[in-house]
Amino acid sequence: MRRRAFLPGCLLMGLGLIVPGFGQQGHPLTGTWNGDFGPSPTQRTQLTIVMTWDGKEVKGTINPGPDSAPATVFLDVLNWTVRIEADMKDSSGKPPHVVAEGKLEDIGAYHRTISGTWRQGTTNGTFKLTRD
Amino acid sequence: MAKKHSALEVLVLSSGLLLGVFLGSVPVSAQRAPSANYESDKKVKLSGIVTRIDWVNPSAFVTVNVKDSTGIISNWAVEVGNPLDLQKDGWKATSVHIGDMVTVEGIPARGPRRQALATSVVLARTGAKVFVVSNKKAAKVASQPVPRWPDGHPRLGPPPGKKGYWGPPSSTVLVENTGVAIPMNRDGLLANILDADKVAPFQPWAKAVYEYRQRTLFKDDPYNRCIPPGGARHFQSPYGFQFIEQPTIGRILLLLGGGDRNWRIIYTDGRPIGHKDELVQTYYGASTGHWEGDTLVVDTVGFNEKFWFTNGGLPHTEALHLTERFTRSDLNTLKYQVTVDDPQTYTRTWTGGWNIQWVPDEEIQEYFCEENAESTFIR
Repeated sequence: MRRRAFLPGCLLMGLGLIVPGFGQQGHPLTGTWNGDFGPSPTQRTQLTIVMTWDGKEVKGTINPGPDSAPATVFLDVLNWTVRIEADMKDSSGKPPHVVAEGKLEDIGAYHRTISGTWRQGTTNGTFKLTRD
Repeated sequence: MAKKHSALEVLVLSSGLLLGVFLGSVPVSAQRAPSANYESDKKVKLSGIVTRIDWVNPSAFVTVNVKDSTGIISNWAVEVGNPLDLQKDGWKATSVHIGDMVTVEGIPARGPRRQALATSVVLARTGAKVFVVSNKKAAKVASQPVPRWPDGHPRLGPPPGKKGYWGPPSSTVLVENTGVAIPMNRDGLLANILDADKVAPFQPWAKAVYEYRQRTLFKDDPYNRCIPPGGARHFQSPYGFQFIEQPTIGRILLLLGGGDRNWRIIYTDGRPIGHKDELVQTYYGASTGHWEGDTLVVDTVGFNEKFWFTNGGLPHTEALHLTERFTRSDLNTLKYQVTVDDPQTYTRTWTGGWNIQWVPDEEIQEYFCEENAESTFIR
């Protein structure tokens, strides 16, 4: 039984070692980012942001689909900080203004992250995104 | 590391040994950039018994059991060079045997690994240095005219009845051709990070990414993990390439000796280059070529963003469009010039290039980056 688990485990370990090498190497924000935000560690809301770089600006789409919201994204390359602003739809259909400010970490890794503060309307919290 | 392996003589050269100078003395053709893996400002000296010989690409390793003064044995992996380079100087896997005593001087690996890049391996039973790579250049041969096809176009391959391939490049880095010398080592690691602006006309984000890659010593270089060296980078490999010209079907195949022993197809049948949005993004892109006099001009678009297109860590996006110009100026010389057009990464187009030397009477040797996966990925 142990042996049965050992071999797939080794395979997964191997993949874990190799996969980061296939990372996207272009603009560090380009891609799909998944994570969550919320006012406390137990109150979290799933979040997806797709970001693209057109040579002049980064464009963001929060939660692609029927409830998507366009976002403006600013990257400070001197400090690798990211500011995201959007008017999202909440559960009641109101469009609270969102301002998120975070730090881009480990920019050379495939699964790089952005984490920081998330202010939605009058509610403050945190967010963390990991590039898919 | 020195404390843990107290019998090892680890000498820290703190007196400003120049990185580029030091790395210039090790074999130049390992798949992984030495800058990324070894602490170039340190030295290590090991004496011990050979326990294993891995004679595989991209780097051959000899593992050595080193006993310290208390009798504790530690096993070290010693990188001795690329087998193709070693074989050119007559070395074989059997140049040392399991059980031989050797003394190794080299550069220790970064981190806790017991690994070193050998600068000298001395075999105790003979007292001779082994695995010495001369990196000697092919003997200069008298300039001979460009071989040509019946229609007058230059032949980019061997003359009829001969063999050969395009081998070592005159430069392994790509910088804008401005005439300004920028000190950097063979991996493209700048001696002075403030010279970044002289390398290429970066957009601010691209300069920041380039400097990040430089400061982190190329630790994220996809090539280190055998990702294909697309773009101009496969012409920076010492393992060469070969043109297979097929004029009757309107294409030229480029067989690549380095990296993953891959190939490119350059269509010369007049088809349009295509639009990047219609193409599947790949490591080598989609290429079309035409002749301008004696120069083959190749346009390539459709690159993905999963690789670095040159040594040194210059970034690009899927908007990358390369225009390569290949001019065989005589039998032995191919002038390579590449114009980089990526408005999402650079503020304007820019051009660089180098010469590539013909290797007569030989075929490209077999080289697979993935062969030594254990040593490359695990150690």
